[in-house]
Amino acid sequence: MNRPVLSVKDLAITYHSASGPVPAVRGVTFDLAAGDSLGLAGESGCGKSTLANALLRLLPDGTITSGQVMIDGRDLFALSPGGLRAVRWTTGAIVFQGALHALNPVQTAGKQVREPMLIHQTVGSEDEARVRSRQLFERVGLPANQLDAYPHQLSGGQRQRVLIAMALACDPRLLIADEPTTALDLMVQAQVLALIAELRRESSLSLIFITHDLSVLTYVADRLAIMYAGKIVESGPSLSVFENATHPYTRALAAAFPTIGDQTSRLAPSGLAGDPPTPGALPAGCPFHPRCPLAEDRCQTAEPVLRKAGQAHRAACVLV
Amino acid sequence: MTSLAMQRRRATAGRVLGQFRSSKQGVIGFSVLLVFVVIALAAPLLADVRELNPVYARASGNPQWASPGEFGALGTDHLRRSVWVQFVWGSRVSLFVGLAATILTISIGSVVGIVSGFVGGRPDAFLMRITEWFLVIPFLPLAIVLASILGRNVWNIILVIGVTSWPSTARLLRAQVLTVKQRLFVDRARSLGAGNGHLVARHILPNVSGLILANATLAVPISILTETTLSFLGLGDPSSPSWGKTLEEAFVNGAMVRNAWWYFLPAGLGILIVVLAFTLIGRTLEEIADPRLGRSR
Amino acid sequence: MSSIVSLRDVHVHFGASRAVDGVSVDVKPGEVLALVGESGSGKTTLIRAVQGLQPVTAGEIIYTSAAGATAGPGRGNRGVQMIFQDPTGALNPRQTIYEIVAEGLRIRKESQNEVERVGRALSRAGLRPPERFFPMYPHQISGGQRQRVVIAGAMVMEPDLLLADEPVASLDASIRGEILALMLELVGDTGLSILVVTHDLGLAWNIADRVAVMYLGRIVELGPTEQILGEPRHPYTRALLSVVPETTRMEQQILVGEIPDSRRVPVACRFHPRCPLLQSGMLPAEVASRCTTEDPGPVDRNAGSAAACWAVT
Repeated sequence: MNRPVLSVKDLAITYHSASGPVPAVRGVTFDLAAGDSLGLAGESGCGKSTLANALLRLLPDGTITSGQVMIDGRDLFALSPGGLRAVRWTTGAIVFQGALHALNPVQTAGKQVREPMLIHQTVGSEDEARVRSRQLFERVGLPANQLDAYPHQLSGGQRQRVLIAMALACDPRLLIADEPTTALDLMVQAQVLALIAELRRESSLSLIFITHDLSVLTYVADRLAIMYAGKIVESGPSLSVFENATHPYTRALAAAFPTIGDQTSRLAPSGLAGDPPTPGALPAGCPFHPRCPLAEDRCQTAEPVLRKAGQAHRAACVLV
Repeated sequence: MTSLAMQRRRATAGRVLGQFRSSKQGVIGFSVLLVFVVIALAAPLLADVRELNPVYARASGNPQWASPGEFGALGTDHLRRSVWVQFVWGSRVSLFVGLAATILTISIGSVVGIVSGFVGGRPDAFLMRITEWFLVIPFLPLAIVLASILGRNVWNIILVIGVTSWPSTARLLRAQVLTVKQRLFVDRARSLGAGNGHLVARHILPNVSGLILANATLAVPISILTETTLSFLGLGDPSSPSWGKTLEEAFVNGAMVRNAWWYFLPAGLGILIVVLAFTLIGRTLEEIADPRLGRSR
Repeated sequence: MSSIVSLRDVHVHFGASRAVDGVSVDVKPGEVLALVGESGSGKTTLIRAVQGLQPVTAGEIIYTSAAGATAGPGRGNRGVQMIFQDPTGALNPRQTIYEIVAEGLRIRKESQNEVERVGRALSRAGLRPPERFFPMYPHQISGGQRQRVVIAGAMVMEPDLLLADEPVASLDASIRGEILALMLELVGDTGLSILVVTHDLGLAWNIADRVAVMYLGRIVELGPTEQILGEPRHPYTRALLSVVPETTRMEQQILVGEIPDSRRVPVACRFHPRCPLLQSGMLPAEVASRCTTEDPGPVDRNAGSAAACWAVT
């Protein structure tokens, strides 16, 4: 296998707050091969967005990070500001959630797509940028005349396509999509997911797709990683994780969005008691034990590590 | 139920007091202000009001332009009057005018802003035209004209400051009310059957009270400064010796040229410190009024 | 008594925009009816009209309380209460949980046993012991607990009909099931009816007895949940269901474009410009010509199941 596009090792991220340090990510390790896709799922506060931002060093000042992130063979935390700028956009690009706020309301969509190309000089001239932006619009399924449209003239789905076009502007090898479909309607979500799948078929784009909706991930991701309280609690091939979930949290998350037609969930919604833990005040032992339907005494003392739970499938639970 | 409501009100008052006490800036501001309020209230005990009369001052044999060492704590002015006496009695007038004018300004501004924002439609358009009219006429000339028409006394000064400085409060409040009105909890109360009175009292007002407080904080110093300005321009009440009036007389009679700093400095510093104290208190109250501030910081 | 609330040809227009364009449907006692649609379908406007937060342009909303009396729409009607998508926004940050839940009682000046009733509503909504929550402010509790407070604030009025606008859309995945289970429990315990508006077909599968699918201001298909989600007949419902991530057994039918602007509702069948059935060319010529010339009209509110489509017989 070739060198991974992204290799994350023991990454830990701690924010500073007035009430003390907040450990948002507590030791995450994974590799992403070229052309592969990883789905990262978890609830608010589990650290998934922090992780995404850390992958391009987009964290606020004063945040403490430890561990290693190798992006395309380079050590992310050792990069100079210039090297970092080159890595952003050209090696890895991010598509944020909330398509409305991520675009500048007073610039046309086309100009915003051209901007990263001109800044990173991946094109020789303004004219070349225009040609390229037209190609990109075609690629994401937008008519060329919308290059001159302002964000408010576009629908939610179209804005999300513009953001994807922007992310693709400098031909990145890695695309990080942070809840790109959360605010979108069902049909538009399906359109965007289909677009992402198509983009991946066309090129060897690697993808990290972040969401709280596990069922979406089985569409776009080859592998799944479930995060809880700043750690990966289960990871493995998508279908294996979704259908043979080992960790009780993954099982609850998978059951949260019912399979329509499945009589066991008909008039029987399933959820978890309690609330996701706040990163600043994690319970001792396994952080999931206060909500876990299968918790035992030993779960209150020791935090389990990831263990083999099947073919390329690992889970952090004492029951594995 | 009444007892429960009372209990809750008492608990709220206790909570506000406790939070205020735990804020350093609030305590400092309050202590400083307290000193000035005590000085103002105790003026008759601290300084003989007759000393303000130049005839009395001359008759008592005071020296002219005496520096602080030579006569009393703060020296005398060109008319042989004690600067200390002027300072003490001046604090009374300045504080009174500042507070009274603020109450007037904030009352007019709040009523106009809330009615305008909450009711909307034609009343809103009408009130906002009036507000804009007041905003565009230059403040100082209007105040001067009003002061000279109405005559030079303390009540008229308060009225002049009150009717000229409310528009900014009104516009700020209107904007805030418009956003609060859009909030989902207003819809929730509406669907519970709440009328307009309930909505304003329970939902709109509590959520703009922070802004009202902040505005009042700013309005007190502005009122005090406005009074100073008007007095400095010779439009003050000749019979009430405010700090502004002291500054005016010091300036007109060449205290600067003579380097008689003891004449203007006490009044100037008095204004500065009181203005600062109000700002500190206002900030603290604002934090308490908004439960999301303060705690998290 | 056949229905708690009966909507008869309800229209809500904003100028040229026909947000709700002729909706007829009944909510029966003790049933959960899910109004499913995408944004722009008019579902939120419709539920706000039922609550009386939105004036109706034409048509009638007839509310029949348990006592048998007939009244106008929900606003000021204690039998109809509403819960909201964003529980954080629905709670006044300056009020304590107690004040929030007691608000409805206070508006109606029903002060007897206030503490007891507020306590009961909170524990019924799963916040136990209620006394612990009385003095707290909304920012001191979690998102799921906030939604429970909103539910308690509605249930304290002992309504016959609960209107729910995307009740779990802003909540975490693991909280979602708990809130839905609570809603089902309330129906079982009190005989309440629920009209829930959602874009989430999984929610309908989880709690609804009947489903009404809305498209561009109209109900295009109505029927029992198992039938609508199992054997949908309207081509829009079929397309919608095919793209739900939770179903894998159907071939995806991704429609092109988005719901048209409600100021420019297509003539004849409002779905025909995007209809995959019509575009497939498989329809008999006389049916296809009706699709582009004649409006199939709203579905019959008294029918057991119905679809507003010329191709459905």
